[in-house]
Amino acid sequence: MTTSTPSTTRSAAARPADRAAGASRSRSHVSRRLRRIPWISCAIAAVFCVLWAFPVYWMVNTAFKPQSEMLSSTPHFLPQNPTLDNFFRAVGQGNFLVYLQNSVIVVAGAVIFSIVLGLFAAAALSRFRFRGRRTIMVFLLIVQMLPGTALLIPQFLIFNSLNLLDTYWGLMFAYVAGVLPFSIWVMRGFFLAIPVELDEAARIDGASTWQVLTKILFPLVMPGIIASSVFAFIASWNDYIIAYTFMKDQAHYTLPVWLASFSTASGGQIGTDYGGQMAGATLFSIPVVVFFMIIQRNLVSGMSAGAVKG
Amino acid sequence: MVTSLAPAPPRRPAGSPRGRLPRSTRPSLAPLWLLSPAGLVLLCVTIAPIVFLVYISFTDYDQRTLFTGEYSVVGVDQYAAILSDSEFWLSLLRTVVFTATLVGGSVLIGAGMSHLMTRLPTVMRYVVTVVLILAWAMPNVASSLIWKWLFQPQYGVVNWLVTQTGVVGDITSVNWAADPQLAWVCIWLLVVWQAVPFIALTLYAAETQVPLERKEAARLDGASEFSVYRVVVLPALKPTMLLVTMLSIIWDFNVFNQIWLVSAGGPDRATSTLGVFTYTTAFSGNVQIGAGSAIAVASTAILLVLSVLYIRNLVRSGEEL
Repeated sequence: MTTSTPSTTRSAAARPADRAAGASRSRSHVSRRLRRIPWISCAIAAVFCVLWAFPVYWMVNTAFKPQSEMLSSTPHFLPQNPTLDNFFRAVGQGNFLVYLQNSVIVVAGAVIFSIVLGLFAAAALSRFRFRGRRTIMVFLLIVQMLPGTALLIPQFLIFNSLNLLDTYWGLMFAYVAGVLPFSIWVMRGFFLAIPVELDEAARIDGASTWQVLTKILFPLVMPGIIASSVFAFIASWNDYIIAYTFMKDQAHYTLPVWLASFSTASGGQIGTDYGGQMAGATLFSIPVVVFFMIIQRNLVSGMSAGAVKG
Repeated sequence: MVTSLAPAPPRRPAGSPRGRLPRSTRPSLAPLWLLSPAGLVLLCVTIAPIVFLVYISFTDYDQRTLFTGEYSVVGVDQYAAILSDSEFWLSLLRTVVFTATLVGGSVLIGAGMSHLMTRLPTVMRYVVTVVLILAWAMPNVASSLIWKWLFQPQYGVVNWLVTQTGVVGDITSVNWAADPQLAWVCIWLLVVWQAVPFIALTLYAAETQVPLERKEAARLDGASEFSVYRVVVLPALKPTMLLVTMLSIIWDFNVFNQIWLVSAGGPDRATSTLGVFTYTTAFSGNVQIGAGSAIAVASTAILLVLSVLYIRNLVRSGEEL
């Protein structure tokens, strides 16, 4: 943290007099460089990194292997003859482009819906005090902690009777139910960080509530809009069980359902096409990993609202 | 940990003075029209379904109802049935044990990792952070499928590596998902693998707030690294640790995709937690939606207790509601 400046001056002053001041010496930048590298800690960390990176590495490694290397009794830790066959096969399996389109339409709809609605709600919950506000906040938190099936079962029945199963709208509304509460929660945090003096100044200049919102607050809360859009994207892009339950027509599958069907649908055959599946998993994960890296600064702060489930 | 450290706006309560002054009543309508679109949607997609779920749990709604729309109210019969069903209690027990081992494992590893990160040189710490975020970012559908491939009998790399160590003999043909204990181990590893990054990074963020002087002083006094952690770091981390643990309990209680994709609750229901039991009751076999709803209501009630505890802690730790 901010300890470096004072400690540097302190140790510089102490050095001529006090040779044994190990504590203050080790805190100066120069001697910290000289201090022995903590080999044991580094070794443990290295082992940890290998273990934790291994599954991802193995996915990518498998994705580039030809069938013969994948199905060998001694695994190859690097593809001997790297190939893109798996990717072509994955994209060729079923109608990849159709599933991609399904995913994009439903996810984009859910994100736009929940960000627009959530933006106004977050403004209300951060800029005004009114009765029932705390109840709403608690409700928003609790909804995210419900077991998935608690919403899945009744939504399935309701959408069934409204003929919304197997449609984009039905799936989109199910995602909005999951995503809107935490979008509100996350954006509210960003609203709270904007000083109220700004709105008051604008009001004194004669701005209406609408103008304060659109001219002052919404532009300032842009980072929050981006962060919660990404959260919302990740949560709905990754969903498997809702789409699996709602979308029975194969033409309506989303990418996760398609990806998992590599293993479940190929019943009596020799088994799963792991090469194709890992290539598909790589393609599917890339946008999520990229987005995760973009918002990683907000990750920890957004977590108390349970924004991205583990 | 809190979403924002800024204090709540010191606004005058807009709704309290009723009617007298037109100027003070006008802004009180703003939250109403700002909230109503989201409120309306949430009413339709969350509140109404939950109310409906509770209602359905008192009926014999099943497959035939999906087509004919006919069902009858059976009172608490569904609840009586599930409470006397040993499978329900077994699922609950499995869920509790599974959650406990998951939370214990991931918090322990996460805390160890976060403390280790504070001792690492900058470059190494950066590498660890990137690896953690990578593991965290993987969609759990993808990671579940990776797991099946890693643990695949015959060609799976895990079986091969374990065999190479020579400790347990040749296990290349062992099918993890088909063995009750091994299926648990396999899923446990998967969930812990994805849970550790959040815990480690959150605790690391909190641990950087602990003054370095205190740790250095303890080390100078000859304290072992473990007692430095226990005496100096842990007390300072307690609030964060508590929130992380409670959040982990709630999430791990709800783990579904990983179990469903790796073992589908098998072999012979050995890995069937409450979530899986609810899903299979309501959506497979003879589609007993009424019974499934009753189980869902029961698990919701359990989670509600955990959530309320969590929220109370969140408020205590300074989160403004």
